[in-house]
Amino acid sequence: MITRIAVIAGKEFRQMFRDMRLLGIVLLMPIIQLLLFAYTISFDVQNVPLWVVDNDRSVSSRDYIASLTASGTFQLAGISDSFNDGDSALEFGQARVAVLIPSGFGAEIARGNPGQVGILVDGSEPNSARVSRAAVIAMSANYSLELTKGWAVANGIDLSGQGMLAAQVRTWYNPELKSSDFLIPGLMVVILMIVTVQQTAVSLVRERELNTSDQLALTPLRSVELIIGKLLPGLLLAFVNLGVIVGLGVGVFGVPMRGDPLALIAGATLFIISCLGIGFLISAVVPSVEVASIAALLVAFLPAFLLSDFAFPLDQIPFVLEWFSRVFPGRYMVTISRDVFLKGAGFEQVWRELGALCIFAVVVTGLAAMRYSRRAR
Amino acid sequence: MLREEIALQARSLRRSFGEIVALDSVDLSVPVGALYGLLGPDGAGKTTLLRILATLGNLDAGVAEVNGSNVTDFEREQRAAIGYMPQQFSLYPDLTVAENLRLFAALRGVSKTQRAQRQQLLLDMVGMTKFSERLAGNLSGGMKQKLMLISMLMHDPDLLILDEPTTGVDPLSRHEFWELLAQLHEVGKTILVATPYMEEAANCDEIAFIAAGKITKTGTPDQIVSDIPGFSYEIRAEDLFEVQYHLDSLEQVVTTAMTENALRVLVNAGTRTELAQELSGFKISDITQVPTDLETAFIYLAQQAKAATVDNDRHFQEVTK
Repeated sequence: MITRIAVIAGKEFRQMFRDMRLLGIVLLMPIIQLLLFAYTISFDVQNVPLWVVDNDRSVSSRDYIASLTASGTFQLAGISDSFNDGDSALEFGQARVAVLIPSGFGAEIARGNPGQVGILVDGSEPNSARVSRAAVIAMSANYSLELTKGWAVANGIDLSGQGMLAAQVRTWYNPELKSSDFLIPGLMVVILMIVTVQQTAVSLVRERELNTSDQLALTPLRSVELIIGKLLPGLLLAFVNLGVIVGLGVGVFGVPMRGDPLALIAGATLFIISCLGIGFLISAVVPSVEVASIAALLVAFLPAFLLSDFAFPLDQIPFVLEWFSRVFPGRYMVTISRDVFLKGAGFEQVWRELGALCIFAVVVTGLAAMRYSRRAR
Repeated sequence: MLREEIALQARSLRRSFGEIVALDSVDLSVPVGALYGLLGPDGAGKTTLLRILATLGNLDAGVAEVNGSNVTDFEREQRAAIGYMPQQFSLYPDLTVAENLRLFAALRGVSKTQRAQRQQLLLDMVGMTKFSERLAGNLSGGMKQKLMLISMLMHDPDLLILDEPTTGVDPLSRHEFWELLAQLHEVGKTILVATPYMEEAANCDEIAFIAAGKITKTGTPDQIVSDIPGFSYEIRAEDLFEVQYHLDSLEQVVTTAMTENALRVLVNAGTRTELAQELSGFKISDITQVPTDLETAFIYLAQQAKAATVDNDRHFQEVTK
């Protein structure tokens, strides 16, 4: 049995290294995917173009504008003294947020009255609109607090005894709320799934198209031996991919590795076997290599992307879909990856997910072997 | 005959794919050591029958046995006794000749030293030693077939099942291929070979003629020919095609077949003189009575089978009306 598995694994390695272009693509693809995804998918809101309509042109208005642009959240796209300019800046996409400062703003403040400003937010892209709105409100409130303090000091009033609620909020695991820290551990899983499922989905069906499945069927080789033999090179290649992705994530994107790497490796091994198994299962049921590729993309990409908790929280989706997400290994691995990278988890924290992946790997590989041997006749 | 002496046996074998009946109560028995030909037109059911006998195909009804064991509960290890060469190339095009040979032998548990010995011996036998490092996908058609043959021999099986091994191969390679089969036959291998070529079938000890899923005739090549009723004539004339057209319309003419420079005709009644009279309107240079050949027999048997199916269909339609 061991000999036959080794013979098949040897053959697969030979075929893999024979086509260097294909091998190159398989190794390069994850890097390109990671870079593309990591740079395009970001929930961080920065450098939002801001248009200011300043009809006051006072020290106070300039102060206020400076307080808005200081943090880097907003970048001044233009300043003018016509309200119409604010409208058109949003309309033509020059700015996402417009702040309207009426004349007399500085004078009102100097008199100790509340100054009024108008804020326009482009809501066509809800995420950045929400964050921009919250930011501009918070910054305005902050500025107003500073004004109050200044006014109190100027009038010799001590405000320190006033009851003010000071909430001390501390964010754990990802204190800067960097979305790359949050996304990349999940992204690794998504990319790994796409690459591995694709890899094996064409594998068995190609044996059928080459008619080599008949020749294999006439040897004492069992279908489970064939599948294990094909799995080993796939596992190795996936580990090379994983290494590269983790290296990029930690090295280039600065994702912290806080937990037990062994737990991550154990999870990755089970996860990769599960994915290769899904590929084999596709391969055992589809009629041709073309269908296998399309099916692999559908089965790997969509659930990995949408139902893995990688970017779209699973507790926010309909119950049925949430339940459905449990039949894909992606969500378990995303949890393991994120917990190990960010929360510093080890085996104790992720044993449930490891167990789920273990069951998944055995069941799906077994099913593929069963399906294939039935189909082989 | 003792049961052990039968290498391959089919009894009332039936197999259909949807509405198409590929095999219809087929009986076949191939003795140990025979060079047995399965002759029939395209789509006759040859491949279906061979795949079942090679333990690769499913059957709907009946029994198929290899060396006395039923194919449906054949053990994987027993398959080492079988070598099967399908019609299409079925080795890895991206592995070399030597890698392909070693791979399948290794899977069958042939030891490393034996693999090396046999590889050398077999490559020599087919004159392919210098191609051992070439990718199998880059071989010519004839060489691919030879590679498939020797790959099938690497584990030294006693029973060889070949499905149209020379279809699409040039005449010289075909000739060489059959010489190899003759060598294997001499050393005692049992060979069942499907072919659509008459002249190849003539090399066999025994032939089964299969058409439309039925074996309609079995026997030695001579027996099959001599069992064909009627008389064969060879006609030479200036306008052979017109002669053929005319003959095909006559009731006593069973088949006509064009050879290189003559027309062969099988008639079920009538003398040479009667035939000459019938053709008096043409410029006939020669009419000679000849022994019926295998090609004529093939056409006759194929037509008989076709007529039977048409009758069956008509009967079926009448019954179901």
